[in-house]
Amino acid sequence: MEEQNDKDIQEQTQDTAGQAVSPGYEYLSGALKVSFFLLKIIMIVLVVLFLVSGFRTVGPDEKAMVLRFGKIRGRGEARLLGPGLKWVFPYPIDEIIRLPVQKKINVPLNLFWYYVKPGEEMKEAAGEKTYASATLNPLTDGYCLVRGEKQSEAAAVTEGSDYNILHSKWVLTYQITDPESFFKNCFVNDSKLEAGQNYADVIEQNVNPMLQNLMAEAVVGAMVNYTIEEAMYERSAGVTEHVRRLLQEELDKIGSGITVVAVQRNRIAVPRQVEAAFQAAHTAVQTKEKTISGAKLYAEKTLNEAAGPVAGELLQVLRSDDANEQQLEFLWSQLAGKAQEEIANARAYRTKVVEAARANADYLRQILPEYRKHPELVVQRIYMDAIEQILDNADEKIFVQPGQSAGTELRVLVNRDPALKPKKETQKR
Amino acid sequence: MKNISIPLFLLVLFVVLVLVSTMFQVRETESALVTTFGKVTRTFTEPGLHFKWPLPIEQVEKFDSRLRILEAQLGETTTKGAVPVIVNTFVVWRIADPCEFFNAVGTVTEAEAKLRSQINDTQNKVIGRHFFSEFVNSDPEKIRFDQIENEMLTELQAATKGLYGIEIKEAGIKQLKISEDVSKDVFERMKKERERQTEATIAEGTAAAKKIKTDADSMQTELLAAADARAKAIRAQGDAEAASYYKMLEEDPQLAMFLRDIEALKKILEKRSTLVIGADSEPFKMLKKMPELEPKSKK
Repeated sequence: MEEQNDKDIQEQTQDTAGQAVSPGYEYLSGALKVSFFLLKIIMIVLVVLFLVSGFRTVGPDEKAMVLRFGKIRGRGEARLLGPGLKWVFPYPIDEIIRLPVQKKINVPLNLFWYYVKPGEEMKEAAGEKTYASATLNPLTDGYCLVRGEKQSEAAAVTEGSDYNILHSKWVLTYQITDPESFFKNCFVNDSKLEAGQNYADVIEQNVNPMLQNLMAEAVVGAMVNYTIEEAMYERSAGVTEHVRRLLQEELDKIGSGITVVAVQRNRIAVPRQVEAAFQAAHTAVQTKEKTISGAKLYAEKTLNEAAGPVAGELLQVLRSDDANEQQLEFLWSQLAGKAQEEIANARAYRTKVVEAARANADYLRQILPEYRKHPELVVQRIYMDAIEQILDNADEKIFVQPGQSAGTELRVLVNRDPALKPKKETQKR
Repeated sequence: MKNISIPLFLLVLFVVLVLVSTMFQVRETESALVTTFGKVTRTFTEPGLHFKWPLPIEQVEKFDSRLRILEAQLGETTTKGAVPVIVNTFVVWRIADPCEFFNAVGTVTEAEAKLRSQINDTQNKVIGRHFFSEFVNSDPEKIRFDQIENEMLTELQAATKGLYGIEIKEAGIKQLKISEDVSKDVFERMKKERERQTEATIAEGTAAAKKIKTDADSMQTELLAAADARAKAIRAQGDAEAASYYKMLEEDPQLAMFLRDIEALKKILEKRSTLVIGADSEPFKMLKKMPELEPKSKK
């Protein structure tokens, strides 16, 4: 419309220029012409700028909605625009709202950690011990209450005292998955944007406090259901899942359009005031394991020494009522150690006894025919052979001439060979 | 032409001014109301373009209807069993009825102040109705944490309904703590509990180790006894087998005895023996005197 006005004025100027006579008037009309021309250019530039200003880029990880006179434009799926170059009417007709839907945003939650003095943060982060007073100040120290161990004694302790204290640090990762619900329901202070900021830039600073509150509620509500052991070791994955579930329920309930991507429990610790006792308990568990493994080693060694690697199996078969004879024989043959030694000795004895008996019998049978023919000679020969052998083996030989009278006494002094040792029993039987 | 252009320009300007002063937008995130000479006459909760009379007849007030969070102060209260607890409650709320909100509180700051005292009030009331053991208990079945939060929400909703034009969507306890003095007792108890556990663990370990050792020892005894029995059986077998040869000796027992004696003698005197022998005995008597042999004549 303004452009139209502009044209009219221009035409007017041209009409008047035709009737010009005086040089002053001519000069004036010339000046007017130039200024109207410039004005026209400016108008055109403004119109172009107006149109160009309607272009908006939706980033590859974004979704956008167009508000026409404040209302979301389109129906169904058309309400959400994907990435690309979009043109909308400039203010005040259209407004484009872009939301990062791919972005995973992390929110730390350190509400349940103890107070760390300024200057000790580095020390604390490195896991070093920091000073802890005897108590926890509820205004500055953060913690969760967890349930006590279920035990028979619990009945005896006074009401409400069976709970414990744990510190923990969490990180929530969330994503905006329903842009429309998010935009409609979650408060984002977009009425006071600074220059160059758009809606998406202020999402985190506005939404994170709410998420921290909801997350804290979920953590408090979940942790009371677990014991220290469960929360720290046995069911730590279960606790984070519990927190995630509670938080997601809350977020869905208020229609936030936010999905919890992950809940992480970065740190968990017993209060520093009781750490030593917990450490001792932990060490005790290790000691117990060590004691037991030592005993097992002893057991293994004992059995191995007694009967070798088949000891356990053999014992099992021996104990069972319906022992398989074949298997038993096999196991006996695999025996080692003391038991094997004993059996080997017995075997050796058997062989020796039998062999000796047979040898004697054979010998007797061989000499019997000859003996029957010349008994004296045979006996004498055997006897003399034996004497010869005995004398040969004897270390010392002493011959004595018996005295004539019966009362004569003979004394022989024999030096004990110092190398001789008392005879030991080398064999058991 | 000359006469039309300027009025036309003015007309356009006038139309624009009229539109600007009579039209207003309600955003998806907002609700609005129109006051006529200061009195609320219309409310708008639907987004879009709306019309009104220009100022000073009608005026528009807009309210952000999105969910806001409000934290009450961390405060001490007592449970049913008079156990002091420190809780921090928050609510998620929004402006639901712009007219009520406008008349009752007007601004968010004012609403938050009202809400805060209401939260404290309800929180103390609800917590005072429950035992501490319903918040945390060694028996998870007895924990009523969700229920307490729900009660708080329901009561807050009831208490604020129709009053401030706000809607409370959620109420939650974000911190549950105990008083400083009690924390000391809890630490003592935690320590005791651990110490008991430590002792129990060590005792368990010792007992288990002892059992393993005794088991092993008895197994060893059992094994050796079995081996001994087997060894005895083998020996007996040997003896029995040897006995079968003794029968052969029966052919001439006297000779057999003689042979056995000789063998025994040999064996006994095999090593480390010193013999003292009378010179009269055979064959040593030859040392004294040459034997007299008489050849036997053949008959």
